[in-house]
Amino acid sequence: MNDRTQNEISALRCADCARSDSAVTDLAPTSLAAIPPEALAGFPDGVPRPPRGVSRRSFITGGAVGLAAIYSAAHLTWESIWDAAAAEAATPSGNILVCVYLNGGQDSLNAIVPVSGAQFSAYQSARANIARVLGPSGAGQVGTTVMPGTGGTLAFSNPLVSGTGNNGDTKGFDTLYGDGSGGAGADLAIFPAADYTPPDLSHFESRDYWFAGALEQLQTGWLGRWLDLYGSASNPLQAISLDTSLSKQIRSVTAPVCAIADLSSTAFQVSGTSIDATSEMQTLAEVPAGAGNVGLTRSRDTYGETVQVSNRLAGISAGAPASGYPANSDLSAKLQLAATLLGAGLGTRVITIDWGSFDTHGDQVASQDPQLAVLSSALAAFKADLKQRGLEQNVLTLVFSEFGRRIGSNDSRGTDHGAGGLVMVSGSSVLGGLAGEHPGVLVDDGEGNLVPITDYRTVYQALIAEWLGGDPNAVLPGGPFAGIARYDGQTRLLK
Amino acid sequence: MSRRPSRRIGGAAARSHHRHGRTGRAGKRHAHLGTARGLAGSRRHHLHRPPKLTVRQFVPTVLSPPMVDRLFWRAGFGPSAHDRATWTGRPVVDAVSWLLSAPAGLSGPSPTDNGSPLDPTGDDTDLVLSWIDRMVRASNPFVERLTFFWHRHWANSRDQVSPPQLMITQNGLFRSYADLGSNPRASFRDLAYAVTIDPSMLRYLTGELNVRGAPNENYARELMELFTLGVTNAAGHPNYSQQDVAQMAKALSGWQINDNDPNAAHSYFTQSLWYDGPKLVFGRFGNFTASDAVDLVISHPAHPGFIVRALWQEFINDPLDAPTLQRLTSTYTSSGHQIRPVLEQILLHPALFSSLDEPDMIKPPVVYVVGAIRAMGLGVTDTTASDYLDAMGQLPYYPPNVSGWEGGLSWLNTDTALARFGCIAALVGNQQIQDVRGESAPAAYDRAYAAVGSPWLASQTVAALQAFSQAVPSSDSQSRIERQIALRTLMLAGPDAQVM
Repeated sequence: MNDRTQNEISALRCADCARSDSAVTDLAPTSLAAIPPEALAGFPDGVPRPPRGVSRRSFITGGAVGLAAIYSAAHLTWESIWDAAAAEAATPSGNILVCVYLNGGQDSLNAIVPVSGAQFSAYQSARANIARVLGPSGAGQVGTTVMPGTGGTLAFSNPLVSGTGNNGDTKGFDTLYGDGSGGAGADLAIFPAADYTPPDLSHFESRDYWFAGALEQLQTGWLGRWLDLYGSASNPLQAISLDTSLSKQIRSVTAPVCAIADLSSTAFQVSGTSIDATSEMQTLAEVPAGAGNVGLTRSRDTYGETVQVSNRLAGISAGAPASGYPANSDLSAKLQLAATLLGAGLGTRVITIDWGSFDTHGDQVASQDPQLAVLSSALAAFKADLKQRGLEQNVLTLVFSEFGRRIGSNDSRGTDHGAGGLVMVSGSSVLGGLAGEHPGVLVDDGEGNLVPITDYRTVYQALIAEWLGGDPNAVLPGGPFAGIARYDGQTRLLK
Repeated sequence: MSRRPSRRIGGAAARSHHRHGRTGRAGKRHAHLGTARGLAGSRRHHLHRPPKLTVRQFVPTVLSPPMVDRLFWRAGFGPSAHDRATWTGRPVVDAVSWLLSAPAGLSGPSPTDNGSPLDPTGDDTDLVLSWIDRMVRASNPFVERLTFFWHRHWANSRDQVSPPQLMITQNGLFRSYADLGSNPRASFRDLAYAVTIDPSMLRYLTGELNVRGAPNENYARELMELFTLGVTNAAGHPNYSQQDVAQMAKALSGWQINDNDPNAAHSYFTQSLWYDGPKLVFGRFGNFTASDAVDLVISHPAHPGFIVRALWQEFINDPLDAPTLQRLTSTYTSSGHQIRPVLEQILLHPALFSSLDEPDMIKPPVVYVVGAIRAMGLGVTDTTASDYLDAMGQLPYYPPNVSGWEGGLSWLNTDTALARFGCIAALVGNQQIQDVRGESAPAAYDRAYAAVGSPWLASQTVAALQAFSQAVPSSDSQSRIERQIALRTLMLAGPDAQVM
């Protein structure tokens, strides 16, 4: 591989990258539980009982706004989940982490651009067909906006920056980042080249490493292990993947966790008849299956839960959506769902979101930039939404991808799998600014990639130690890892 | 009111132009470099005869009715009345032998979409429907089951492959390695090579961009990771290194697509675009070609176990035990990597017939929908099948990624259960249901049961549905027809119908 020259860097276009394999594939939910609308009203005054004097029994039959796929060693009913969630809500809420995984390997170098002297010249010549320009965008070229506090060495690419002609919104990474000093209003920490070494270049392997928090195949995710050690033994809503199946990040051994795709209603009705066959389906679902018949058990259980939920879903919505999010975006929808669930106070500590299509082997500018613009304004809108709900001080948002991309672009105006990816942590508790150094493009890792200056587990370690609580070394194998090394010499992730 | 999902076919494919068509290069020069002597020896398979069936591996010799049902669900799309009449009481080996030797063929009227003939190259929904139709009308259903298995194994998506003729050509390739009556000595090695230079695969995994001076590792990696070896072996050790991927890519270089005439699209080799020089793969050194690359992976020690496992899991729910694995890999290797002998042993394995009283394997959506259409005596006449298969998560020609569909228990969740239910309700709506005046509840049950192909139902399910038939109104024509609709829907869309 060392003989690879610039000319040889090819235009790979992986077909596997449109969808993720970020979800658990060999584990089925153990049960499905309906989420009653009252749950989303939260627990006023921390009273561990359903609000408004509704008895638990009546509220359980009163409707549902969605369905949680529960992954638990023990069978949990909604009643027990409710009790657990209520108990959680009765105690001071813990800090919350929302993980946004950018699917496909997001290119860091066209997001955070080295703009000083020789670095910028080298950057431009390495990726002439997709390079950013200095200053405002124009004439078909995308510009940059210098990041305060970096001595003029680094710049946001303009899709990340608020304003007409940039991300088209009034907020963005620049407003989250502030002056980059880590003071009030500087709430976005940026690691321009975080990864593991040596790079594997496979989407599948790299995702597994990031999700496991270890450079090996593990059966548990790093947050799953944290939950096993420090989470609830009975509340699956403590960790939620906003998807139809579970993210590997929160796969645990003992701690129950769950997946919730959406809170929209579903219907389960027989067409062409006035006969109510729904209750008959319930009868069929209740026929017991033979011991050990996993397939039939799964089928009957799924039908039973579906009927049950269908009966409860009568046009109940999850409430008015918050404003300010970019329109027509899956990321907006998922972040809004996250805010809604967090607002319900269900004892949730972790939410995972899988979004985007960043495997930009070809025509990168046309595919990456619109996504960067959405990411930028959606994260700002999410922060504002959380603030509106009085939750913002309790929530951090981590943004990452499975790897960075090659420094040099290919002949298809794209970039191939590389190393040194962009990691960001957002939240008013965050010591905003450049939290890890930029390696520059004058040196590479020997394979044509950014030198991964920050081990990704450095970030995980800080998130556990400073935010979630607990011993990072008990969660992350191979630790302790190097600490945070900020551009300005500070060593903390949080303010 | 049924929940009919919206169509998604067409959008992405329409965007996918011939982005990388390097067409028009003259010449179809094929290299005959022969540099990998003694690698696999797989092309010597004609020296071997398929191993004879060994008696000890099989317990029951004569097919009972539930065994016929089981065999035709696992190796087809469910039993027809004719299958049941033909095979009940006959030796299992005869039925398996028929499945593995009766040639491909179609019977019944041609498919339509609301009255019009299908146009698979002009409409992507029709592309999907045309394959569904082949499955529905297949005289030997195993041919289409195995064709579909190859599609799952070497997953390519129309979302990334244009023109659609490439997908159709690949489908024909898969069928020629599934129609074991016409191609009895078909080998996995030959299939692997054919797929490696298949235009659809060259486009989907960007092999056409893999040329001298611009190596493209995409196909090389997936050839090993997903198609022939897996990342690690049984002991957890890597089966290949990044260096193997890079070197393998060079061996695979130089193959391009000519699709100037989409109806005659083909791949061709250009010597000058091939890395002509030594490569080091799996510790072996040679001036390897694409053909050598295939031999290298096929002769890799991890390969037989990898492919045998994949085939086993397609048909059998029980885990593959070590002695059986050993026997199957030995059959596979000693037959020169032929497909039929190992399939024969899998389909004759007693584990295929386990849990006969209560089926235990979840039907993949395609098997479920095609099985229902066949059981109801319907054909492809509208887009019901493709609409709902998408909602169930398995639209043929559109696998979610290069690793295919995940399957297993993940097929069923509340969303897909609703889609399965909606699909059956729509299909029942396509049946002609006559009113029978004065029809008793038991007679209504029996008529409904026969109209949906007499599927397996647990005895408690039967009792519940008979009670249901008794309980619902039946005093007028409308209510009796509604009773038929409800009974048929519950029989084919209920939880018992999801397993095989």
